[in-house]
Amino acid sequence: MIGEIKDINFSEIIESSNVPVVVDFWAPWCGPCKMLGPVIDEIAGELGEKAKFFKLNVDENPETSSRYKIASIPTIMVFKNGSIADTLVGFRPKDAIKGVIENHI
Amino acid sequence: MDNKYDIAVVGSGPAGLSAAINGKIRNKRIIVFGSKELSNKVIKAPKVDNYLGFYGITGAEMKKQFKKHIDAMGIKITYERINAIYAMGDYYGLAVNEKIYEARTVILATGIEYTKPLRGEEEFLGKGVGYCATCDAPLYKGKIVTIIGYNKEAEEETNYVSELAEKVYYVPMYRGAYDLKRGNIEVVSDRPIEIQGKDRVTKVVLKEREIITDGVFVLKDSVAPNQLVPGLLVENDHIKVDLNMQTNLSGCFAAGDCTGKPYQYMRAAGQGQVAALNAVSYLDSLK
Repeated sequence: MIGEIKDINFSEIIESSNVPVVVDFWAPWCGPCKMLGPVIDEIAGELGEKAKFFKLNVDENPETSSRYKIASIPTIMVFKNGSIADTLVGFRPKDAIKGVIENHI
Repeated sequence: MDNKYDIAVVGSGPAGLSAAINGKIRNKRIIVFGSKELSNKVIKAPKVDNYLGFYGITGAEMKKQFKKHIDAMGIKITYERINAIYAMGDYYGLAVNEKIYEARTVILATGIEYTKPLRGEEEFLGKGVGYCATCDAPLYKGKIVTIIGYNKEAEEETNYVSELAEKVYYVPMYRGAYDLKRGNIEVVSDRPIEIQGKDRVTKVVLKEREIITDGVFVLKDSVAPNQLVPGLLVENDHIKVDLNMQTNLSGCFAAGDCTGKPYQYMRAAGQGQVAALNAVSYLDSLK
């Protein structure tokens, strides 16, 4: 199950988690983001409790998007102990994304 | 029965058509994306002496024969341009603007014509460099954007970006009248040399001048195969395939010039056939 993360709770969520936090930066007008959504859902389902998954709408959360310099979406960021452990820009096949996340579990 | 195609063939040159007829012979649901001319390279060939069975044929005549062949087999070509192909896991999503076609396997037969990337273009991809202005424009609200346009369609995207960005530089890579609407668009008739920056794009260096910019969009006719299919493995500008014409993505095959040299009709047609037959085996293995 993928929750929403926002400017107001972003720091708290990524800092307090003891497992990697995966954030999918997206927007409703972005075609590739729509394709990536179900792929992330599937990965989240398969990894269970080993990582936490969130979506961040860049239109509604400009502060976080600009802090992490999001220049292209979709962007997936993997956070560990509050800092960026990996960044994937653009759509990727499911196995490629899952592999990158698993490296941090 | 769902509405997914069994095989989507991307390209209507010799490789794509050979894949299509073999997929059809094996009774698969196929869709072929391509152009009315089938292949610009074929129709331009003055004379072909190395296509077995057709000594001295012209390219135009060869195209007619290809057309007759697919017509006789009831194969229609869908005249739409695929923008991106997404590997969704057990199927592929083929995007044409807002529309998505779905297929279990894909055969890439796109030929090879894409222009070489600029220096810095690949390095800063996703860090200020993008290929879809309409996708990422809202991220550049109030910022400076440079658009390097290789065709007329790029002007439309430039007009759209100019509604959001503070300032847009348009660098046309072709001659003509430019249909640009707003006053914050500046046409720069100069040759781009390099995209520079540190961890993000900061400027574009041209032959005569430099432009300080937050983002660069490079808008071309055709994109490199790994841009078309995110995650696809490309080696030395060609799609990496094994002897079954299988790429690194399962269910995705490639054939013809896009897989490497020599760039020849018979090689392309042969590879298209191998790709189609292996796509068929792959489909059968899913059942």
